[in-house]
Amino acid sequence: MAYHNQYRPPHYNSAPPDQGFLWNIFQRVDKDRSGAISDTELQQALSNGTWTPFNPVTVRSIISMFDRENKGGVNFNEFAGVWKYISDWQNIFRTYDKDNSGFIDKNELKQALTGFGEFVIIVIFYDSQNHRQCCLFLFFNPLLTDVFRRYDTDQDGWIQVSYEQYLSMVFNVV
Amino acid sequence: MVFAKELKQALMNSNNSSFNDETCMMMLNMFDKTKTGRVDVFGFSALWTFLQQWRAVFQQFDRDRSGSINSNEMHQALSQMGYNLSPQFIQELVNRYSARGVNRVLQLDRFIQVCTQLQSMTQAFREKDTAMTGNVRMSYEDFLSGAITRLM
Repeated sequence: MAYHNQYRPPHYNSAPPDQGFLWNIFQRVDKDRSGAISDTELQQALSNGTWTPFNPVTVRSIISMFDRENKGGVNFNEFAGVWKYISDWQNIFRTYDKDNSGFIDKNELKQALTGFGEFVIIVIFYDSQNHRQCCLFLFFNPLLTDVFRRYDTDQDGWIQVSYEQYLSMVFNVV
Repeated sequence: MVFAKELKQALMNSNNSSFNDETCMMMLNMFDKTKTGRVDVFGFSALWTFLQQWRAVFQQFDRDRSGSINSNEMHQALSQMGYNLSPQFIQELVNRYSARGVNRVLQLDRFIQVCTQLQSMTQAFREKDTAMTGNVRMSYEDFLSGAITRLM
């Protein structure tokens, strides 16, 4: 099998956070008090020092993973999933950031890739000082894997596609 | 030196909306030779030329002078650029990339974003389709690495 279930970070399972603590955070992030956290609100929250800033594509991927009603945001219950997901991946990131620099360099990345045994993507993003940084772009996999699976009917990790089908897959049009 | 935020503030669509984040990031990546998240004067000059060229194409195909490109106009633009894509696909593409809550049309930022990504994805496909059959067999890793290129 060429790919694994990537909705759960591998080898890591953190304890669920206190509900009161989580509700506190949710309210602070849900700035317009709509009862759901939008892409913009999540991205602002992720940029405010708690975690390093996330690029909009990443934010969209995360929200769409947990937004069960396709409403373009996550409610409190769904947000608990988002929080856990990000925390789990962040902890894994820290495991591989051996020199505690806040970034994973080429050597650390090599170890991380071997450790996971699955495809990990690097994305470039900009931090608050507009310095270009690299980050394990771990969140994008589930959507692409999903799209790939739809075409891989015999589940052997290979597909046969036409030009337009390929474009549709990558543009997530389908 | 031009930073992402400044770039975003400087660039606007004809409806006065600022350029979307993805297009700004994409252009910064393309023209940031120093790899520091900012564009120096040489990079900026190249970026500006890039923008003007795309703006000219955009205006050429915005036949009804609406300041945006609809699905039909997009079809004509892409045909002129040498793409052979079905009207349905182009409709879906325009729908997918049009800004939320507005008509199914593309402003300049998203037009540039779609055309540039179409170029790189077509390139990725061509590299695999050496026999030029219009069909490829690809593995999961092939597919993912092609998709990364789109982001970077």
